[in-house]
Amino acid sequence: MDTSAGIQEPFDLIRLSLSERVFVKLRGDRELTGILHAYDGHMNLILSEVEETIMLVDGADSGPSGQGIVNVTKRKMEMLFVRGDGVILVSPPSRT
Amino acid sequence: MGDTPPPPEATPPPPPPVTSGSPTDFLKNVVGKRVVVRLTSGVDYRGVLSCLDGYMNIALEQTEEHVNGIVTNRYGDAFIRGNNVLYISAAEPL
Repeated sequence: MDTSAGIQEPFDLIRLSLSERVFVKLRGDRELTGILHAYDGHMNLILSEVEETIMLVDGADSGPSGQGIVNVTKRKMEMLFVRGDGVILVSPPSRT
Repeated sequence: MGDTPPPPEATPPPPPPVTSGSPTDFLKNVVGKRVVVRLTSGVDYRGVLSCLDGYMNIALEQTEEHVNGIVTNRYGDAFIRGNNVLYISAAEPL
């Protein structure tokens, strides 16, 4: 049941996600989903069938509560190399 | 009456049961426990700490992403790249 049983180190989570669609959170309010083909110890990633979501918050209009996401841009890429230092979080597909 | 003795000096409280040891010992103790991971960006991730490595890369289960105290995302599993980590806080007694 518990798929985490086989995880000894954090990179095991990534290894178990090869060939799966993963969610990647990047610096600069960017998110990716794509199929993970390869990774290395820097968390450099090779993804295919990628959709990138770019969130631009307009600071001038967003008032004191400041949560208004004014602009969300999406774009698609067939194949992508992600430099590891931009990666914040990688989440494999939910195994439910 | 009038001869009430001064209250006895309060005995110093016993030291709290701090789990002693190095930062590494702390990290060993929190594996498998609920933790809060704060990133330098101020975003919090609350979940069960599966494991971590020498770069402080972290694997979390049942993860909730909190931004300004509001849950903004949930992940079954999450890998957090260590360079983004500000601190790891135990969210349950060790």
